[in-house]
Amino acid sequence: MPALNEMIEQPRFSCAIGALQSVVAIPRAVPILHSGPGCGDMVSGFFERSKGYAGGDTSPCTNFNEKDVVFGGSEKLRKIIKNTYKVLDTDLQVVLTGCTGGIVGDDIESVVQEFQDAGKPIVSVDTPGFKCNNYVSHSHVVKAIIDQYVSLYEEDNKTRSDRKLVNLFASIPYQDPFWKGNLREYKRLLEGLGLKVNVLFGPDSGGVTEWQTIPKANFNILVSPWYGKPITDHLKRLYGQETYWFHSVPIGANETEKFLEGVLDFAALQKADIDRKKAEAFIKHETDRYYEEIDNLATFLLEFRYGLPRYAHILHDAGYVVGMSKFLLHETGVVPKEVFVVDNTPEKYREQIEKDLASTSDKRTIPVFFEADAGEAQETIKQADHKGRGIILGSGWDKSLAKEKNCDFLSVAVPSPVRLVLTTNYVGFSGGLRLIEDIYQTALHTYG
Amino acid sequence: MEEHIRQIAIYGKGGIGKSTTTQNLTAGLAERGKNVMVVGCDPKADSTRLLLGTLAQKTVLDTLREEGDEIELSSIMREGFHGIKCVESGGPEPGVGCAGRGIITSIGLLEQQGAYTDDLDYVFYDVLGDVVCGGFAMPMREGKAREIYIVASGEMMALYAANNISKGIAKYAKKSGVRLGGIICNSRNVDREIDLLKAFSKELGTQLIYFVPRNNVVQRAEINRKTVIEYEPKSTQADEYRKLASAIDQNDMFTIPTPMTQERLEEILLEYGLMDALKDNYNI
Repeated sequence: MPALNEMIEQPRFSCAIGALQSVVAIPRAVPILHSGPGCGDMVSGFFERSKGYAGGDTSPCTNFNEKDVVFGGSEKLRKIIKNTYKVLDTDLQVVLTGCTGGIVGDDIESVVQEFQDAGKPIVSVDTPGFKCNNYVSHSHVVKAIIDQYVSLYEEDNKTRSDRKLVNLFASIPYQDPFWKGNLREYKRLLEGLGLKVNVLFGPDSGGVTEWQTIPKANFNILVSPWYGKPITDHLKRLYGQETYWFHSVPIGANETEKFLEGVLDFAALQKADIDRKKAEAFIKHETDRYYEEIDNLATFLLEFRYGLPRYAHILHDAGYVVGMSKFLLHETGVVPKEVFVVDNTPEKYREQIEKDLASTSDKRTIPVFFEADAGEAQETIKQADHKGRGIILGSGWDKSLAKEKNCDFLSVAVPSPVRLVLTTNYVGFSGGLRLIEDIYQTALHTYG
Repeated sequence: MEEHIRQIAIYGKGGIGKSTTTQNLTAGLAERGKNVMVVGCDPKADSTRLLLGTLAQKTVLDTLREEGDEIELSSIMREGFHGIKCVESGGPEPGVGCAGRGIITSIGLLEQQGAYTDDLDYVFYDVLGDVVCGGFAMPMREGKAREIYIVASGEMMALYAANNISKGIAKYAKKSGVRLGGIICNSRNVDREIDLLKAFSKELGTQLIYFVPRNNVVQRAEINRKTVIEYEPKSTQADEYRKLASAIDQNDMFTIPTPMTQERLEEILLEYGLMDALKDNYNI
């Protein structure tokens, strides 16, 4: 985090309460905000098209006002929870506190406890904006649901009782604009190996009933350089589940193969009872399909070699920066130049991320900057001078910079008012192909 | 807000006698023909009990809670002894909400409603204990109290609190022009109390503006819900409060305090034998 009183420009994340979107991503779950009315509005503005069943500024909200600050807002919260039950038919309610409730010290836990005692599937999480950003609070939300909701179903879901079942923690809903497609692709790939997967978020998850089975899983898969790590640590403590940790987002054949082979090795260690031969055949099939497309692309790449992007700048979270860098260099020939990790990565994870990125190539060094201030990142790009055609892969806020630098631009991160993403995925074999399509489409669009 | 109104905030350690001192002092000023308003800034809402002869006053925040912020001044302001206008800020019940914000809100409402009328000579803010957060510093911010008096005694914790409060004053002095008018000693009959208080005040860059001796008539008056000036107007203690009122009325020494380090404070206490006395107290 920047020092106190230090300002940053263009944060590419939201404050803690932004993790309300993680609740929105659980089918039939509803976030209840104990906050001012602006919080939901801010979150929905940041993520765009993010309302889900009842999210962003349509979330039930106590509209914390001056009276609530002075006298405490517990009574109002009690009322809004009761009214939520009257209006919305939901499977899970998650109460999130904003800054004001957090400072005043409202005892939301005891209010929520009343409803829990009455048998309601309700959870409270402390998410005042000053506490952390949404990359961090996403874990707080997931842990709260596990502790206050999933734990109630442990009796019927014996610890590690399903050898083939895994819990997947990867894309953060909405913060990763491709989360829905990515989770679907992870699920498809892992099922292709013979595993069963709790993806927990999005239409491909089984909603709260899937959450209930978290303890049953044999092990966890964490695809992330740092965010989400507290969740798998917590599960290790609670249920003794080990975690296969893949540190960056696997995009394209190289990394996806590595990811899937890693999962297979780990599954074997965990005695997951996987038919390795069948799994390898699946990977081969997927790989072949991927290279079929790359083969077809070869002539085009050759003919267009002077008109396509030669280098790239990336502004994204650590998982994507590393994943995209590896993919671009090895599978498209676009050379990553200065890249920027804008997720406010905690200090202790940075060295590992740098190492991971450095492993991309022993011939080239990719300069990486950990820069929560994306305005600073843009300044660095402005000063950079590279030969040939460049592309900037960043949020919608980087579009004008690309124009200024005469670079191509592809919107791949939030916030982005300039791109609509529904089910597109960037992970996996298909994700790599899609990213190639998008990059070249952007370049080709400038011809003719 | 009118410039000619002397706005004064009284701070000091909890239980030191701020409310008692403020009410007796304002009673003294009222006797001298001054127009005074007392604003209680304590959620307990007991800062005007002796002036009104009762506790049952609707607070600013009660009204806000029940009726919204369109409050009528007449519903929250009552006249007490010698026409002193009494207002209680009030606050949340203990353990919930934010009392500090309550003070900010209620002073804001009083201003909006035009409580600070031209005919006032004095407004006194009686503020709860330590300045624990921004809300309790509200009376010393821009446009509010320009003068602060700290009630203290010869006891260590009272001086410790006074020193701490001075840090708050020094901080706001740069921006809002608030000044320390002096220390009021509400005597606890501690050894060499007056010397200690004088030395402490000097170190703080201020004065011991008045030494109020201990007298049991204060307690008797309190039980009867009266100031000493009203309860026993002819007593020597009533005269002491009148003299305090006069000292404040005529005060022209306003300084930015120079709070001391914890070490220096303890040195002064040692010098005046307070530490020895404390040690003795623990010899059972």
